[in-house]
Amino acid sequence: MLNKITKVIGAGAFALGAFASSALHAADTVKVGVLHSLSGTMAISETSLRDVLLFTFDEINAKGGVLGKKIEPVVVDGASNWPLFAEKAKQLLEQDKVAVTFGCWTSVSRKSVLPVYEQNNGLLFYPVQYEGEELSKNIFYTAEAVNQQATPAVDYLLNELGKKKFYLLGSDYVYPRTTNLVLKEYLASKGIPSANIKEVYTPFGHTDYQQIVAEIKQFAASGDACVVSTLNGDTNVPFFREFANAGLKSEDCPVMSFSVSEDEFRGLPTKDLVGHLGAWSYFMSIDTPANNEFKKNFFAWLEKSTVPGIEKKGRVTNSPMVLSYAGVYLWKAAVEKAGSFEVDKVREALYGTTFDGPGAKYIVQKNHHVTKNVYIGETLADGQFKVLKSYEGVYGEPFLKGTFK
Amino acid sequence: MPRFLAFIILALVSGFGALRADDAAPDSGRALLVAAVLAPAKDQPAAVRALVGVEDSAITPVLNAWRAGELYLVVLADGTRVPATLATAATHVPSAAPDQLVALSVATGSPIMDPASSATPAAPLFFAPKQLKPIDTTAPLRRAMRDVLEVAGVADPDPKIRRESIERLGQSRKLEHLPLLKARLNVEKVSVVRTALAESIAFIQLADAEESTRLAAIASLGDAHSLAAAARFKEALAATPAPSAAEAEAMRGALRQIEGHWQVVNFFGNLFRGLSAGSVLLLIALGLAITFGLMGVINMAHGELMVVGAYATFVTQNIFVSFFGAGSTAFHFYFIAALPVAFISAALVGLVIERGIIQFLYKRPLESLLATWGVSLALQQTFRLIFGPANVQINAPSWLQGGATVFDVAFAYNRLFVIGFAILVVLGVWLVLNRTPLGLLVRAVMQNRQMASCIGVRTTRVNMMTFAFGSGLAGLAGACLSQLGNVGPSMGQLHIIDAFMVVVSGGVGNVLGTVIAALGIGTVDQILQPVLGAVMGKILVLFAIILFLQWRPGGLFPTRSRSLD
Repeated sequence: MLNKITKVIGAGAFALGAFASSALHAADTVKVGVLHSLSGTMAISETSLRDVLLFTFDEINAKGGVLGKKIEPVVVDGASNWPLFAEKAKQLLEQDKVAVTFGCWTSVSRKSVLPVYEQNNGLLFYPVQYEGEELSKNIFYTAEAVNQQATPAVDYLLNELGKKKFYLLGSDYVYPRTTNLVLKEYLASKGIPSANIKEVYTPFGHTDYQQIVAEIKQFAASGDACVVSTLNGDTNVPFFREFANAGLKSEDCPVMSFSVSEDEFRGLPTKDLVGHLGAWSYFMSIDTPANNEFKKNFFAWLEKSTVPGIEKKGRVTNSPMVLSYAGVYLWKAAVEKAGSFEVDKVREALYGTTFDGPGAKYIVQKNHHVTKNVYIGETLADGQFKVLKSYEGVYGEPFLKGTFK
Repeated sequence: MPRFLAFIILALVSGFGALRADDAAPDSGRALLVAAVLAPAKDQPAAVRALVGVEDSAITPVLNAWRAGELYLVVLADGTRVPATLATAATHVPSAAPDQLVALSVATGSPIMDPASSATPAAPLFFAPKQLKPIDTTAPLRRAMRDVLEVAGVADPDPKIRRESIERLGQSRKLEHLPLLKARLNVEKVSVVRTALAESIAFIQLADAEESTRLAAIASLGDAHSLAAAARFKEALAATPAPSAAEAEAMRGALRQIEGHWQVVNFFGNLFRGLSAGSVLLLIALGLAITFGLMGVINMAHGELMVVGAYATFVTQNIFVSFFGAGSTAFHFYFIAALPVAFISAALVGLVIERGIIQFLYKRPLESLLATWGVSLALQQTFRLIFGPANVQINAPSWLQGGATVFDVAFAYNRLFVIGFAILVVLGVWLVLNRTPLGLLVRAVMQNRQMASCIGVRTTRVNMMTFAFGSGLAGLAGACLSQLGNVGPSMGQLHIIDAFMVVVSGGVGNVLGTVIAALGIGTVDQILQPVLGAVMGKILVLFAIILFLQWRPGGLFPTRSRSLD
């Protein structure tokens, strides 16, 4: 009788909409949170991560789900508003009771949700390169740590290009400042005198790079200088324009950028960036069967997707997207190893879990970071990177301050 | 020896296939180029280096094309791979369509013929644009190309290329280049190139075995104000073993000379950069000086009116691309056409805002603040809906790219343009306000609206036209900013504060005050920046303005007018 009633209600709800219909199947689904900014300034970058996560869930569900349960995404919008991130995280954990959350882009949003995940013993996967100096038992950092991006990049500049002078240019916030602090120690340990290192910051949305470029030009007159840029987002446009107009070329003074990926190239004049360098754990141009398969499936999914407002044209893949993708598969493998969705069991099972993904092999470490390959690439005119060098199986190390002597 | 090596590579890789019926002599530049292109990727740099010193006028253009991604590999029906550049077919075959291309074989310099063609004379193979994939380059390969181009560039017909090549050879500090440079000095006639030659020779001679040669080299580098040499001297002075006393003394003397020179250069550089930053501020603020300064409307939507101008530039650019093609000569003039389009579209939007909202708020400035702020939010959302949330790409026309270096100060063309354009706009505004009937009416209405109305001026109409004029100026500023920075929905928010800052410190209601305040703030900002950094510099400028306004609340040129009291 009760069963019958539920069925009737269920049928009515099904007709009413998808929300209720999912409640009907609540027993054989597992709720998974997606916590990204879908509006506000960060939406440009973070919406891509939402898209790739939804694609990954569909891909896993098509193959039978996790432990026989289909993934049911709960997508919430952090709206580029850091306190709101904490509220949304609370909602995901306490109301929706999600098994795991994939989310956050900026460090400040991660810092904002961290106490929420620790209080509720939740599980968060964080996919975007960051400055380190953090380790929570409730967060897994699939992101590149500083030694999985910045220090290999500097190794490349030192050893392969023979650069001796470093101009560290960044936007003025925590990621560039911490990264440059580590880089300065690292360069000192490699015998670069502090007179050959210059550190400069500009505010967000800075548009006037005349003075800085004039300074770089004189700094680079000796022909052995390079720029290490942690400039964020669209400030790269006026910077690279000014750089090119001053007659500086990538052969004389290459710019190694840490925050410019394929996705950012969509809004940049790539012509001005040709020959400049980037360092990531994944490039869209990597020619491996795993990556080709990933790209093919993702673009096919985009084509058919019915997610409202999703962008279908001119899409690319980049490192944060692939690290989100890898995060889901690492979590799935750990859940299956643990035979449970319980956070404590999954955490134990995650240590040592591996996944062969688009950017090569990912291994979860005891310190919640992920061992992965690091690639140094050069920008081509079509907004892609061409791999110049790869560092394989780099161990992620979050605490680097004071380690280089 | 390297040439010999390359020849083996050539033989191995191409099996002479690419050369087939071609008449290139085996070690001419062209043959070596073909060998280098077809070599396996790891041998390419060595194969390219084999071209160093080979005299063949084909080398420079082909290597430049390769570096620029304009060299292609044509695979013939029999599998032979022929490196080639593309050219418009019409220049070789008069009957060809305008968009058809022919491939000019690197081996011969003439079009690759269609082997299947039976016509006499044989027809070439035709290609469509983007049909072929350019041949890749890597950083080591491009460095090898650069080495070849530098040596070849010493004898290039273009003095600018000669000078750049010579400077680079000097910086390489390789004694092997000395004879080449000295030989060139004997025949070189252009004075700037001679200076560069002397500097490069001296730079290489720093490593000479004779002390007297080294001393002479140090002295001449000091005279040449070489920054690269300054870095080298500092290094040498700090190094162990220290240079001899005489050398150290010479180096210190040269260093003083060089540093003195660069202080002067940086002074003028700062002046130019200040002028340029000031011009940007001026363009941003000029429209506001009219809508806020003269009319008293606290126009928070001023930034969005600039964005209208920027998007108008974007649309004009796209229209030019679809009508003339992205590479055409006409495309490079889109920006000229975009200026009036930007002015008119922003003026129209301003007109609508004035008619729709502001006309009811002339007596209530605080409400105008809130209302225009609302308008600015609505406009931002409209931009997002029409153009998407991401920034749009605006390509600078070729004449706004690059720059010139005079007296060691780099003058970027787009900055020069903005300065010139700001001067024109200020002149235009001055003419309109002081030399036209409209200007007379504007001044009359702004000074005393009721009185003007009493003597028969149609004040509503004048208000409308003035607001539209100020908005149009904002549109022009937006068009100019599109050449310097980003164009996106929230671009206006970045500049609105600067605009108010300039107008307020210049003195509300005074266009001349705006001009002086903009140039002053720009220059102070640029002078502080290298000392304090961009962040602190900006903070200090804002702080200075606060203090200044404490001292002179009315700004530089306070206006006494009834409408403001």
